[in-house]
Amino acid sequence: MNVLLIEINPFVQETTPISLGYIASFLKSKGFGVKILSIGQNTSLSRSAFQELISTFKPSLIGFSAYQRIMLYLIGLAKFIKSIDNTIKIAIGGPQATFMPSAAFAELPDVDYICRSPGELTLLGIARAIENGTPFLDLSGVSYKDDNNAVFDTPELEGYTDLDRYPSAYLDNVFDYSRMREAIMLTSRGCPHHCIYCYTPHAFKHKISFHSVERVVEEIRWIRKKGVKRFWFADPNISYKPSRLIEILERILKEGLETEMWLQTRADLVTSELLKKMKRAGVSTIAFGLESASERVLSKLGKHITSEKVAEAIRLAQNQGIEVELFTIYGLPYETFEDAVKTLEFVKKNKVRIMGNTNSQQLQIYFGTHMARHYEDYNIRPLNNNRPAYLSIGSQYETDHMGRRELHKIQQMWQANSLDGGKRIVS
Amino acid sequence: MIKPAFKKIYVILGEQDKENPEWVLQTLSFLYSHINLTSNIYLVSENLSDSMPQVERIRKSINEFLSEHLFARLYVHIVHPAPPSAIDDIKLCYKYLKQSTDKFDQEGYRHQELPRLILLPVLVPDNQVKPIQLIDLLDVLKNSFLLSSLYLNKDTLDLAQDEKLLSLTDKVYYGIGNFGEMTDIVCNLFRQDILDDSLDKLENNDLSMTEPCPDSLIISAQDGNIYCCMDAFLKNESPAKIHGMHSLEELLADYYQQNKSKKDCFGCREKVINFFADSPKSLATDQEIGALLYHFGILRQKSEDDFQAIKNFKQALNLSPIEETDPVYFRLGLGYTKIGHYDQALKAFKSVEIAYQGQYFFHFYKGLCYFGTEDYATALEEFSKALQSEPQHDDQIRILIYIGTCYNNLGKYEQAVDKLEKAKETAGDVKEIYNSLGFSYFKLENYDKSIKNLKMAIQIDPFSAIDYASLGSNYREKGDLNMAIGMYEKALALDPGITFVRENLERLNKNL
Repeated sequence: MNVLLIEINPFVQETTPISLGYIASFLKSKGFGVKILSIGQNTSLSRSAFQELISTFKPSLIGFSAYQRIMLYLIGLAKFIKSIDNTIKIAIGGPQATFMPSAAFAELPDVDYICRSPGELTLLGIARAIENGTPFLDLSGVSYKDDNNAVFDTPELEGYTDLDRYPSAYLDNVFDYSRMREAIMLTSRGCPHHCIYCYTPHAFKHKISFHSVERVVEEIRWIRKKGVKRFWFADPNISYKPSRLIEILERILKEGLETEMWLQTRADLVTSELLKKMKRAGVSTIAFGLESASERVLSKLGKHITSEKVAEAIRLAQNQGIEVELFTIYGLPYETFEDAVKTLEFVKKNKVRIMGNTNSQQLQIYFGTHMARHYEDYNIRPLNNNRPAYLSIGSQYETDHMGRRELHKIQQMWQANSLDGGKRIVS
Repeated sequence: MIKPAFKKIYVILGEQDKENPEWVLQTLSFLYSHINLTSNIYLVSENLSDSMPQVERIRKSINEFLSEHLFARLYVHIVHPAPPSAIDDIKLCYKYLKQSTDKFDQEGYRHQELPRLILLPVLVPDNQVKPIQLIDLLDVLKNSFLLSSLYLNKDTLDLAQDEKLLSLTDKVYYGIGNFGEMTDIVCNLFRQDILDDSLDKLENNDLSMTEPCPDSLIISAQDGNIYCCMDAFLKNESPAKIHGMHSLEELLADYYQQNKSKKDCFGCREKVINFFADSPKSLATDQEIGALLYHFGILRQKSEDDFQAIKNFKQALNLSPIEETDPVYFRLGLGYTKIGHYDQALKAFKSVEIAYQGQYFFHFYKGLCYFGTEDYATALEEFSKALQSEPQHDDQIRILIYIGTCYNNLGKYEQAVDKLEKAKETAGDVKEIYNSLGFSYFKLENYDKSIKNLKMAIQIDPFSAIDYASLGSNYREKGDLNMAIGMYEKALALDPGITFVRENLERLNKNL
């Protein structure tokens, strides 16, 4: 039986869909035929070509990574798929799906499953059920809509805590290396912190799990051998266990695997020694989350970090010749326009170039975040109460202190200071 | 392998085939299935009011397609002249067109995303229009659409100086040709897209530039043809005269299977960049084009087309800001060196003396120029500087050989031997070293060592006529005339054109 996995991000250049890669590798190891279709800004794909893909590959199950911004694409493609073959089952997963209310099924007529637990095991359960001819029997980790349009929620499914139990998409050659500009790595999953605007901690129950150092190094070695020379580490806090990161970096140095790397971590998880080692191993850019330079605002985000600490981390990284990127957000609860300007000034004062990821963005209130569940407590006023159930508040809101005009004004100020006109690399 | 999708379609509106008045509409409707999920359609009109019925029919078909396919997104650029006399009519046309996008605007708002149908006016002003009139029009359009674009030519370029006008403008296209000439406009829009695509590639380090430009078609209602790219359009190479759905299928089959009209995409890109180098445009665009020309120069240099490389570098120098010219001058100098125009090369190198001073390759190429002009003393100075500037291993050997050869040419044979023996220690079997050493030792009358080295040269290259000839001369000096004759004969057999060998041989035969 064949499974097609689709990642859509038409607003940036095509990237390596690492999460789908994990699922593909896992399903392949269980005997399924799997293809990944990654649709980026530079992907060439027409209706007829997509139809041809479906007709020739004949998937019985199609899984989509769901994000707030691509729901229209997803709905359109799902409708088109069903028009080609209405026996194909469609599942959605990823950040938008995990906490999407089951009521959304009413507005997603062509979606059969909403995956809520780790993708590998959840989709395996669905695939096996379809293969057995009982597509809705004995499922876990999903909500589903049966043939009579009745909606059911199933029990959660625990993922593996030892990530090495998942086969490697890279070592299994799931991706086309000839088209890969950079490899996206995920050496750990989850985050133990409690930032109120972030999806990850709640989705992973404030836990963090890891790949072994050996597995990470083996992947790096293999990917480099395949000719890819840039690595982008998507771990939310790659230095959460500093000793583990040091071991990875030392292995890279020992084996001569130095390569250009981008990574992100918390500003309170770096030291001068660690940054020095990072630089030697090839880290060209490190990203920290500042969010706001107003201590008053920052203290209410559950992040437990100070702007002073971030400034220190920036200086340490810059001293090592590592480019720094800062994630910042405007439109935060309790944030005034003056607070938002202070964040911009902080970035400029600390000589962080405003481009790519350092271009600020408005807070997005996504499903699963503390903010989404308690927005009223923070005096957030959604602007559109008529939005579809599959969409969260996103950026359509005002706060007590910032109306649409102020939000627009601070956005313009960031754009005016941006070196690339406000284009973001990562969302 | 997924078939490529068309990312841009340029439609020249106008006189339609009387036998099939809906040809353009039918063609477009057929192509919707083959366009990219996000695509651009340019509707180029000679007169917006007159074209409105045709625009409206196309607009309706687009709405139907988008309503049915929620994964599709279209940017529709409406390109048309904006003479003063037509401004009120243009406002009315857009007021009407705006109603057609409302549905998509609402859908976009609901989904917190840009609408899936975006109309983008592209105004082509004539030289009669006053900035204030255009500002008024752009201001009105701004209330309903994203910022409009302007298409300027040499007669209207002054408009680009008006800051208020530019603040209401998204993009300025620059073109040549007459006002309102649709084929010129389409070509210039297409060129702009190739330029943008090339700049994107440069920015993303995708440096080969040999790939075709984004898949595009030009549909001309004026001649009833479809063209697979601008190059084909300019050469009037349409795969088929299209008059019906059957032929459209054939056209696509041809496009996908053979892509016949796309023959020299690298050359086409280069032509486009050079086209812009000569066209009116903004200062910022000048710099970008300068950077591209420099890059194309490097690519030409790599493929050993040094004349075209030099042409690109010279154009790049005209357009690049002074602080970015150093590498261009260096590459230009390199180009001139390779074609033997040493004086021009040295002139170019002089422009980057300060920036490149101390770089071994800089001194090496300067040395080559002096060597080429037979100024061996100065060449020696430059090669010596190169040697002192930590050259890479292979280059170090090349430098030592040149130094040795300079000493030979200056008659300083002992110094030549010193350097060439060093080269031999480092390099091992390099023919040029043995060849030069053979010459040095010959001049020093150390014939045995000369013969030993020349034999090594022949061992590496058994077809080296000059080394056989040199061996002949050594044997002659040693008095071994039979061996000398044998060697001269071998040299002549390999290269009958070496006249001094023939003369030597004749003299020896007479003496015998």
